Amino acid sequence: MKKIDRKDFLKIGGGAIVGGLSGYVFSGAPFLGMQWLIEWTQDQYVPAGGKEEYLKTICEACREKCEMSIRMIGDRAVKIETSNSGCPFSQNALQLLYHPERIDAPLKRVGRKGTVKFSAFEKVSWDEALGAVSKNMNKLIGEKRGHLIAGISKHDNLASALLDRLVKACGSTAAYYEPSLNSLSQAALGGSVEYDFNNADCILSFGARLLEGWGVPCSMNKAFIEWKKKGTRLIQADAVRTRTASLADQWLPIKPGTELILAMGIANRLSKRGRAAGGAEWMAVVEKYAPDKVAALTGLSVKQIEEVAETFSRARNPVAVAGRGGKGVSSSSAEFLAVHALNTMAGSQAAVLKKGQWLGEPVLSANAAASIKESKKLAGLDDFIKNGNFEIIIINEADPVYKSAYGAELAEKMDRAFVVSITPLLNDTAMYADYMFPSLTFLENDTSAGRAPLKPYLKSAHAGDCLISLAQKVDGVKASFPWASYVDLIKTSGASVGAGGVNYNARVLIDQLALIEKNLKPSDEFPLSMIPVELTFVGDGDGMAFPYALKTIDQKTFSQGKLCVEINRKTAGQHGVSEGERIDIASSWGEIGSVRTHLTDTVAPDTIAIPLGFGHMAYTKYAKNKGVNPKGIMAHDIDPLTGTANWWHTRVKIS
Amino acid sequence: MAIDLDLCTGCGDCALACAQENNMPVFEDDSDLPKRVQFLDLMKVSNDRDAAYPDVEVCYIPKMCQQCEGNDPKNPKPPCVSVCPVVATDVGDDGIVSQIWSRCIGCRYCQASCPYEARAFNWWKPRYEGDFKKSLNPDVSVASRGTVVKCQFCSHIWKRERDRAVAGGELDINAVTYTPACVAACPTRAMVFGDLDDPGSELSRLLSREKKRTFRLIHTIDEMKEKDEKKWKAMMQAKNYPNPKVYYLTSKAWIKEMMKFK
Repeated sequence: MKKIDRKDFLKIGGGAIVGGLSGYVFSGAPFLGMQWLIEWTQDQYVPAGGKEEYLKTICEACREKCEMSIRMIGDRAVKIETSNSGCPFSQNALQLLYHPERIDAPLKRVGRKGTVKFSAFEKVSWDEALGAVSKNMNKLIGEKRGHLIAGISKHDNLASALLDRLVKACGSTAAYYEPSLNSLSQAALGGSVEYDFNNADCILSFGARLLEGWGVPCSMNKAFIEWKKKGTRLIQADAVRTRTASLADQWLPIKPGTELILAMGIANRLSKRGRAAGGAEWMAVVEKYAPDKVAALTGLSVKQIEEVAETFSRARNPVAVAGRGGKGVSSSSAEFLAVHALNTMAGSQAAVLKKGQWLGEPVLSANAAASIKESKKLAGLDDFIKNGNFEIIIINEADPVYKSAYGAELAEKMDRAFVVSITPLLNDTAMYADYMFPSLTFLENDTSAGRAPLKPYLKSAHAGDCLISLAQKVDGVKASFPWASYVDLIKTSGASVGAGGVNYNARVLIDQLALIEKNLKPSDEFPLSMIPVELTFVGDGDGMAFPYALKTIDQKTFSQGKLCVEINRKTAGQHGVSEGERIDIASSWGEIGSVRTHLTDTVAPDTIAIPLGFGHMAYTKYAKNKGVNPKGIMAHDIDPLTGTANWWHTRVKIS
Repeated sequence: MAIDLDLCTGCGDCALACAQENNMPVFEDDSDLPKRVQFLDLMKVSNDRDAAYPDVEVCYIPKMCQQCEGNDPKNPKPPCVSVCPVVATDVGDDGIVSQIWSRCIGCRYCQASCPYEARAFNWWKPRYEGDFKKSLNPDVSVASRGTVVKCQFCSHIWKRERDRAVAGGELDINAVTYTPACVAACPTRAMVFGDLDDPGSELSRLLSREKKRTFRLIHTIDEMKEKDEKKWKAMMQAKNYPNPKVYYLTSKAWIKEMMKFK
């Protein structure tokens, strides 16, 4: 071997240095380093200035119609303030308006269904998108198969009424709503209950977390101030010591899922004072629930039940409230009926049944009239997902794939169907959409009062306008849509009127009571009860797309990417679970894994409280893959009147 | 400022409004509390350590910078101000503990000395993706990476209102009033903001009316006034006596007990 002399050594050394240096330069590292240095030392974003002005408008997100002031800097909206009371909805509005993942033009699917990536979609023009959707609809209507067109809406509003009308005009009865306080009470009672919380003097809430996003948060917050001033008594029945239960004057720590039984117990006491409601058959069931039986089932004492019944019946204007939960409301129809019966028994003036009067019946074409006879009207959304059939489905702002207990089944059916989603953000349901129509925030909506304060975001349009334009292109439907635009329609729409009498269905009540009593029996396989809890700003998942809302999530709910469930301390001890431990939860409908435990006595014994709103598959990168969504393992029993799963109380085990 | 915890429903509007007003940085995951950048922390507390089901309760406590005054009101020196090597934080004429982001060198002494963990450190460069930039408030500068930030009771709004008043011919600066973003957003009016030096202000009247329910986050020292006045005076002279200017009101004994400065 040749000996390496000094010259060779210098050559090799020099070559290594030159090679190393050129490698370093060509790798881009020095440029990246320089970039970091610049960022470290001087890169500081300065928000653009402009003329400051305040735009006055009215928030039409709910019936409270709060006055709002939007602070503008040039053409940028930088802050929203409400004159009377804020609500998370308006506080989040700017984050939705300027959301980096907001859909800015109609999208057409080019990739596989069920993918979250924007690369699976391409931007198309409104004409092209509406043309493609109407072509598919026309084909079905032409074949007299219009009954395979369905619609799912989120809010009970005018745009949803338009979708109902469109679906019906196509020859289908399959227009459904995501379960909400309104839709559930309408299905159970035949109208939504308008509560006069300001003038009630005793409020008995059956698991309705009134101050945690329930109903219309603005009105509830205002009512809360009134209660404090007037000394209104709030009695809260719940299995978790929530904030509402802590603020209540009296908390009734019932066993999970026994709200209906408590209502029967109180009705029983009221009946002893000669009060009645619901007819003889209904009252016969009430008679069976004497305080001692109710006490044994609910875990309360006979004295507590009698005292509450006494307080309730003696109040001048008492009101009982049904609709468990904050935003994600779930109560059985029997519970809505039983609680409303209490109001009737006590002669409450603060709970009035109202019915929205929207658009009336559409004109049916010959084809539509033929196919509507084929259409089977099911009780509600979950019933439809389970037993219904569709080839085209239009989703109006709703997210049933995420929110329904039957979400997975719906996703499977959507995989085979033609799906249109009207939404500002790509949510779990829109993952299966063939076409996506970008809708507006209320800041960009024209209202009956005047023009919208802000211009629509890029190519977005109001859901109502989307549906009116679509209807113009669908055969035989145009006659039922005489409006030029959504604003045109607002001016002609009617107000709500009183609903008729309530049909107290004793059969439904007996079945529901039997189911609850069966669920209450100790079971070796599923020894624990699982019930949901919510954070006001996350709700049933709608708030998760907003980064500022994420900043307010407390560490006992979601920390470092891990979702925590609350377990009673003693129960945790019995099951050998310690604080912060990773557990799996299983019910007869499935299993979820990787949640952490938080031991707390705010939860009833033998109970797990799981936060709702987490575990999205899509709905922007802020919501995606954070925690788990428990809906899939929650109870799937479909209510005969509301047609939705009563998922509130589920028997589970942990491992 | 006074916060009535008996009226607070924990809705979080204060925190959302604060984030929007003060250009809080946007991160994909903000679930790691020690690294979270926010001015107002909505703390969920419960007495479940001392009580068992069903005697437990939960409460939310909005906690922001307590705007400490220190032991000498004439020369206010809160714990954070005295440790800052570059005078990035100071107490202004308005009594608000200010912080100038761009002057901060990121030594984090102030963060360590703050008894309330009210300061946050920008571990990462604040990013505002896409159109989020459009909603940024030009009155609050965007902090750069490696700086400490904190609540300043939205003093930029005070400056805005002051300038407006001066332009309108108002010469008495003390006549200028304003409302911080969190207070303006509170739907149950649990938060009250005003001038503690003005006995006629709504805040001062509330505090004098509700003495029994009022406490500060140092009330072991405040309590001493009744028990042993001499000791109380001595405690007030301690070097790092914070003397906060945020008052909380509650009728629940357990909240006061839990929030004691132990």
